[in-house]
Amino acid sequence: MLQENIEASFQSNVIISTSRLTKAFGRLVAVNDLHLQVMRGDVFGFLGPNGSGKTTTIRMLLGLIRPTAGRAVIFGMDTTQQMPSILPRIGAIVETPVFYPYLSGADNLRVIGAASGMVSGKANQRRIDEVLELVELHAQAKMAYRKYSLGMKQRLGIAAALLTDPELVLLDEPTNGLDPAGMFEIRQLIHRLTSLGKTIFLSSHLLNEVQQVCNRVAILQKGNLIKQGNVLELLRGSEQVLIKLNTLEEIQQAKIILEEAKQQGAHWISAVHVQTDRQGVSTLRVDTPKSHSAEINALLAHNNLFAAELHPYEGSLEEVFLQLTTQSLSSGMRQGMAALAGGSSAIQQTGSIYGVERFGNGKGGI
Amino acid sequence: MSVTHQSNTEGSLPLPGRTDSVILGRQGYAFVLLRLIGMEMYKIRRRIMSKVLVSIAIIIAILVFLLFSLNTFFVLNAPPESFTQPCPQSSGPAQGQSQPNCPPPSAAQVAQLREGALRSASEPLRLPNSLSIAVQIALSAGTILIIILIGSSAGGEFSIGTVRQMYTRGPTRLQFLLAKVGIAALCAAIGILTMSITGILTGQALNALSSIPQGFAFLSAGWIAHALLYLLIAMLDWFIYATIAIFFGTLGRSTVAGIVGALTWLFVEPILGSILKLVGTFSQGPFGNFLKAIPDYFIGNNTGALLQNQGQYIFGGSGSSLSNLHALVVLAVYLAAFIGLSWWINEHRDVTN
Repeated sequence: MLQENIEASFQSNVIISTSRLTKAFGRLVAVNDLHLQVMRGDVFGFLGPNGSGKTTTIRMLLGLIRPTAGRAVIFGMDTTQQMPSILPRIGAIVETPVFYPYLSGADNLRVIGAASGMVSGKANQRRIDEVLELVELHAQAKMAYRKYSLGMKQRLGIAAALLTDPELVLLDEPTNGLDPAGMFEIRQLIHRLTSLGKTIFLSSHLLNEVQQVCNRVAILQKGNLIKQGNVLELLRGSEQVLIKLNTLEEIQQAKIILEEAKQQGAHWISAVHVQTDRQGVSTLRVDTPKSHSAEINALLAHNNLFAAELHPYEGSLEEVFLQLTTQSLSSGMRQGMAALAGGSSAIQQTGSIYGVERFGNGKGGI
Repeated sequence: MSVTHQSNTEGSLPLPGRTDSVILGRQGYAFVLLRLIGMEMYKIRRRIMSKVLVSIAIIIAILVFLLFSLNTFFVLNAPPESFTQPCPQSSGPAQGQSQPNCPPPSAAQVAQLREGALRSASEPLRLPNSLSIAVQIALSAGTILIIILIGSSAGGEFSIGTVRQMYTRGPTRLQFLLAKVGIAALCAAIGILTMSITGILTGQALNALSSIPQGFAFLSAGWIAHALLYLLIAMLDWFIYATIAIFFGTLGRSTVAGIVGALTWLFVEPILGSILKLVGTFSQGPFGNFLKAIPDYFIGNNTGALLQNQGQYIFGGSGSSLSNLHALVVLAVYLAAFIGLSWWINEHRDVTN
């Protein structure tokens, strides 16, 4: 009975659930056997290189395209059967939002409102003003959409997505075209929406931003889901302890000591690397939870090696992303990427955003 | 890959409340459709192109009646001699000498002849003829305008990309299509009425030049009923070409496809009809008859037949060889085919870029 209650409670909190969701365009499988689960109140990051199937998935969730196989359930309703009941509860931006160029921002929202089931005319003027205020477009409300800048268009898209105060917001690259201040505002907006109990499904390339706003992520590559989980748990796997010693010999010695310790039962050590940066400074990087920093320090001191610097490194979503997405790349391509990023260690060392964007098309995003 | 839990929930999750500032309308199918038609009307009203097209329609209607009024103007300014009937040629006196058998007309006769000429010249400016002319103007130049208006409205959703925005708001694709069809019908009705009324009023205004009063002897309940049917048929004609524009706009996913497709149909059909008649006449026999019968199933011929069948009660003349029933069935099939195909394409199409 208790188990049933737990199960029912769990199910009632599942907002999006996909099962074996597949979309093929001819021989090209854009999304393959996708299992996703987004819970109520999640800020769910949907990540992947360009062409990995993110937008195709969002389109399937919104009923713009039909799955080749599998199904998607939103709010407990099948998308292929009950889309008219699902869509009014969703606000969405799919790629770059487009509006009627001859209408003003406010008029476009009026049209979108009428299409979304809102009363036509002036009745919803207060709501239109609210969302325009929210995205800071109230001053340009009467300006024709064709005169909007890319950032303003993007913000109007967000306003349209939020117009009906939906419980689920699907955002596909919402900060595309926004300047850093605009990105920050969108991040704040997402935090605010989450505090109001909204569920956010966010597709993006900018992993640093995703890390700041999302609690769960799914990583897609070539249409396949390669990882899904809690952001903190994913990051825990990329934690490191960075150690600097006085000489290269000491570093090599420390590496041997730590590898021996691993062989002798210190399973919390995953791997030990020596990395040399462009200035020729070498660092010992130990793949281990940061909570083991003190033990590492003690172990080295026991062997008369005294660290000049030792600090835990939390890792980043970018590193997790790169690690996961480059695993399946050919070694040649990986080397090419590494060379572009400044050496094979550079990606590992910095988790360079540039390395990530080389997968994509340079589009922005949260 | 991390393990995911598969949802088995089939009952929908409860809908949480929205903010007070969101005022939703009634969500029944018809209410949603009416709201969408209102939305389409709002978009059309706000477009500069619509205003330009309406202006062109009104200007054309006025210009054509101005052209007709030129004849009246010439009659008004013609010298009295031009109203005298020429004498029959005979082997009479030499040229320049007065003919004893052909006396010059009296002033009263000249005035009578002048009034007759004036009445005849200004006939197109007065009802019921002005109704026929106004509708003919609408069905020629006006059809092109409605095709441009509706073709850009339907195809533009794809060209601009707003179809993604619309299809993710809640109403079904069929409702969006029906809204387009609805707005096409509404525009056809408003357009025909606007052009007809503009033409009739312009005619009446210009008729004042002739000082010949508008008679209403023709007016009867029957005449009004047939005149209304005549206008309805003209609206139907526009509506069919508008649905063709919707179909091609949907098929080709662009404004250009919608406009070019429907205009091609509009212009190619009569040419093809003439060719088929000609080839049929030369071919003779059953095959020739078959070819000659094909144009009887064309849109233009059937709307023309409906107009002619009503026109005989309004303006006199004879009816068409095609019956009203035949024409209505043929046109209904066209409408069902264009709307049905547009629906099928919409329903089965993936909306990508």
